[in-house]
Amino acid sequence: MIDINGTLLAQIFNFLILVAILAKFAYKPLMKGLADRQTQIISNIETAEREKAEAAALKREYQQQLMAARTEAQAIVEKARKLAEESKEEILAEARTEHARLLKAAQAEIARERDLAVAELKGEVVTLSLAAATKIIGRNLDASANSKLVNEFIEKLDEKKIGGLPC
Amino acid sequence: MEHGAGGHEIGVHNLAHFAGLTFNMDTLMMTWLTMAIVIVLAVLATRRIELVPRGWQNVLELAVSALLEQIEATIGPKGKKLAAFIITLFLFLLISNWLGLIPGFTSPTNDLNTTLGLALLVVVMVHVLGMANRGPIKYLKHFFEPYIPFVFINIIEEIAKPVTLAFRLFGNIFAGEVLLLVLGMLLPYVIPTAWLAFSVFVGVIQAFIFTMLSMSYLANSLKDEQH
Repeated sequence: MIDINGTLLAQIFNFLILVAILAKFAYKPLMKGLADRQTQIISNIETAEREKAEAAALKREYQQQLMAARTEAQAIVEKARKLAEESKEEILAEARTEHARLLKAAQAEIARERDLAVAELKGEVVTLSLAAATKIIGRNLDASANSKLVNEFIEKLDEKKIGGLPC
Repeated sequence: MEHGAGGHEIGVHNLAHFAGLTFNMDTLMMTWLTMAIVIVLAVLATRRIELVPRGWQNVLELAVSALLEQIEATIGPKGKKLAAFIITLFLFLLISNWLGLIPGFTSPTNDLNTTLGLALLVVVMVHVLGMANRGPIKYLKHFFEPYIPFVFINIIEEIAKPVTLAFRLFGNIFAGEVLLLVLGMLLPYVIPTAWLAFSVFVGVIQAFIFTMLSMSYLANSLKDEQH
């Protein structure tokens, strides 16, 4: 039942053949496959880590840009407000100046008109006085003598009535 | 023991004589069948190695990766050269142990010739590798350490290695098959089937033990100075 015979040698031989066959046809490709997979996994992990770092950097950059944009927008709004304030002041100042100028012009006009009216009135009074005088006296003096006479009269009138102030 | 009859009667062999030696033909047939199965499985699993393993490749890779891990742990980087041998040993023993569970077949490992042959092969490798690794004189010297009389203990230990390896495997598988037949004759279906299922487990365990012990013996001889 447990007799040792030539089978022992044959079995050693058989097994060595099996080892040789498997080593050649199965073990080598399998090892290669395992090694390939290992390198693939390592490279995949490395790539993933690199990409993750890149994404983080990108995110940080975007956040910084967003922050910068926000600050800039704030600055622009601030600037616009200041500009508007300045414009308002300027417009108000201009309006005030214009108003003053117009007032002055109007006053000048009024003064001028009054002077003119006084002069005209003066002429009118001379003529009327002459006409009246002519009628009263009944004779006509020559025009220059008339004017002189009336003017003198008016001068005196003025002195008497208003106290020497010119009209 | 020349009964000659009955292809799968336990412990009885068809004998053939060749070149002055006697061969158990049924054991050899079963060995060749086992070899063929192992080769087919291995080649099927590794014919197209894919980056993402599928089917048989998965199964074989699982076994091979586990064994490689063990080799790496026990032997170290030098174990790479022995990996093919150890993995083949495990696959061969596993298929051998399971083959006898199929009715009409016997395990090559239920013949002491097979188990002793493999055990002797391992032991010869242990000594050859030990000598190559440390130098013959240094290697032989370590049998006489720590004191010269220890040589007897050491020699007994060295002889015990293949004997225990061989008889453990042979005994387990042989007894398993005998018990399977006996139970089949004596008891209804359920109990032999349960024993059959258990034998599948025993087959794995015995193949694993044989492989692990071989690995640790080889590791010892491949280790550097300290041990």
